[in-house]
Amino acid sequence: MTNSEPLLRARGVAKRYGSVVALRSVDLAVAPGEIHALVGANGAGKSTLVRILSGVIRPDAGEVEVAGKAVRFRSPAHARDTGLAPVFQDPAFAPDLTVAENLRLTTTDAGAFRRQLAALGLDDVELAEAAGMLPLPLLRMLDLARVLAHDPALLLLDEITAALPADYAERVFEAIRRARDEGRSVLFISHRLLEVQEVCDRVTVLRDGSNVDTLNTADGSEQRIVAAMLGERAALAVTEPRKVAPRTHREPGEPALVVRGISDGRRVRDVSLTLAPGEVLGITGLEGQGQDELFAILAGDRKAGGGEIVVNGEQLVARHPHEAIAHGLTLVPSDRWQALLPQRSVRENLAVPLYNAPGRWGWIHADRELHQVADAIARLSIDTRAQAQAKRLSGGNQQKVAIGRWLVGGFTTLLCFDPTRGIDVGTKHQIYDLFRELAAAGKSVLMFTSELREVPLACDRVLVLYDGRIVAELPAADADEATLLSSAHGLADTLTESR
Amino acid sequence: MSALSSAVRPLGPTASRLGRRHAWTAAVVVFFALLLTWNSSQTRNFGAFEIQTLLASTLALAYLAMAQAVVVIGGGIDLSVGSLLVLANCLSARFMEGTSFGGSALVAVAVLAVIAALGALTGLVISVSKIPDIIVTLATSFVWGGAALFVLRTPGGGAAPEFQTLVLGSGNAWWPALLCLLAPLLLVWAPLRRSRAGIAIYALGSSKDAAFLSGVDPLRTKVIAYAVSGLLCGLAGIATTAFTGGGSSQSTIAMNATLNSVAAIVLGGVALSGGVGGLIGPVFAVWCLYLIPNIMLGLGVDPSYGEVVKGVVVVLVVLVGGQLRLRRSRSP
Repeated sequence: MTNSEPLLRARGVAKRYGSVVALRSVDLAVAPGEIHALVGANGAGKSTLVRILSGVIRPDAGEVEVAGKAVRFRSPAHARDTGLAPVFQDPAFAPDLTVAENLRLTTTDAGAFRRQLAALGLDDVELAEAAGMLPLPLLRMLDLARVLAHDPALLLLDEITAALPADYAERVFEAIRRARDEGRSVLFISHRLLEVQEVCDRVTVLRDGSNVDTLNTADGSEQRIVAAMLGERAALAVTEPRKVAPRTHREPGEPALVVRGISDGRRVRDVSLTLAPGEVLGITGLEGQGQDELFAILAGDRKAGGGEIVVNGEQLVARHPHEAIAHGLTLVPSDRWQALLPQRSVRENLAVPLYNAPGRWGWIHADRELHQVADAIARLSIDTRAQAQAKRLSGGNQQKVAIGRWLVGGFTTLLCFDPTRGIDVGTKHQIYDLFRELAAAGKSVLMFTSELREVPLACDRVLVLYDGRIVAELPAADADEATLLSSAHGLADTLTESR
Repeated sequence: MSALSSAVRPLGPTASRLGRRHAWTAAVVVFFALLLTWNSSQTRNFGAFEIQTLLASTLALAYLAMAQAVVVIGGGIDLSVGSLLVLANCLSARFMEGTSFGGSALVAVAVLAVIAALGALTGLVISVSKIPDIIVTLATSFVWGGAALFVLRTPGGGAAPEFQTLVLGSGNAWWPALLCLLAPLLLVWAPLRRSRAGIAIYALGSSKDAAFLSGVDPLRTKVIAYAVSGLLCGLAGIATTAFTGGGSSQSTIAMNATLNSVAAIVLGGVALSGGVGGLIGPVFAVWCLYLIPNIMLGLGVDPSYGEVVKGVVVVLVVLVGGQLRLRRSRSP
């Protein structure tokens, strides 16, 4: 398979934004009928490469060949006509248009689209619904179906499984394998190495804007991929998680957070939980089980219909997030852009909570701010090369800034919603380490995660949310993927009433 | 499977979805009906004459609101619609003066072509320069306003009386003005709305990135939106000429018209963020905004309060409507 003429070949592709080099020089070859993975740490240049290959941006140097012919993509439409079809993390659907109108925009044949939907096991999708009213995971599936309906030679899937419920992800894999059986190629970008090993034939690893290794998944171990991604030094900690697995440690005394019987009348039903000081408590569940609403309620962004929240022994009725923050209950939302000020500097983004409590006459203590910001940057090892504007940071660094803000601002309980979504392995572990460190210092962390594998790495204990209720509670040590998955699907035999 | 189907089915029946999409327009129509009833109860023998007056005196602003709506739906905003109206008004008044009916009609076509071309040029400049719409159109509003002064330094000009009749009707005939209003809706907007180019306008306003990734050509789409908007501005200018029987290049006319067009689209359900709304709602909004001061007058209130009430109504409607929209989007 790898001996034949490649379907897609990129040579020396480079791109820089101002003084920031996004791609140094990348060579890539994808054979016909091959599932080829593209992996790399955050900021390695994966996104830039995909954007070049899908015609969104133009490279500064290098060439791209499709089936032996050199092409310079003028636009996404041009790339699609050439047979390269991308699915991005953010589905390319105009939210105010109906699905049907969106299909007309891309001149997608409705019949072919329906057939692809059926193949993905989605039959009852209403095409007259405004795209913006549909949940994100479903939209991404629709995007995949749309792309497949165009009969592409090469599928470009950019983090398609990020935050995708496990059952959807499984269908994506089936679709990918089907595409391969039909002779299509797939370029599969993912942070989840397990997926990569299961689904892909070959892997190209990017590091610092260059390709550093290409190997067959059959003989390439996870360790070798990770080593290539990170350089040797960080590899060990990642592949032997038991060495970094948390030691449960709980501070005595009053719970940091007690939630009793919280409901919102719709999505959240009678949720109770207790979070001890120095504990990292995980919550997991499939998409849309009430986790968004639960976190919004805890953060003071949404009203609870019933129940009570007690923070450090004090009852909290937050009408606004600032009241929750004043009680030390702070949220890092799933969407980083809800938290960050994209146009402002890293320093300002970190120092924002301090502006709540300025000094006398409303002056801001520049010295104090500088100190605390520098401290947070050091603790999280935030890459500050592009610090003038938060939007220019890589995804992992943006997430670090969103968390680092509360290191600067101060908190007792950190609410983190999918803190490692779309983040590379190295950064993930830095975030887990940070949580452990915070816990050791007596702080508490409540994190939702859609990635079951990270539960034992970061948490002391895990709760499973299903249909707005907590259906299972497990110590992290027992929380293997199979158990979590079946309780997340609401399968009765795993439900525990350990409380 | 059960978890999945719950994620796939936030979809109500078709009827409620249609209702949802056109709820705002329907609300404005109801609001208009209420105002009209109120107004008609104030006037003895309310009838064809009052309707004719309503339609004829709001025709220009209705066109202008439609012009603004097209641009805003496409994700922009056009501060030059008022100036384009004035320019079209001055051009047509100057060249229609003393002509026959045929001559006036010919001038009208020429003016429409010129103003639509100016609109297209505006769209081109915005797309190529990447300067925000609001700034480019602010600049062009001065340019077109200045050009209007060259065309007609002092108020004057005229049009063939038969031409005026064609546009506004004579006596109590209210249907010519209504036909004139419907013409661009049926001949230009309806086909466009169903075409890929029209969908592209909505897509561009809804999400620039998604539109681009879907293969929409942003430049082409912007130019089309602004050209259609220009065409409607031209119609507004010609309607003004027909209504007033002359032209005036006063800059305050342009400013007032622009601001009223924005008020009308906001009241008419066009989201300033783009991608949402239509052209019917804004037209009804224009009529509502016309009736409010009339009703105040009928109540014996100082007409100056009419403007105050107009402003309050715009804010209240948008406030209530925005809340309802928000609630809906939170509970799909």
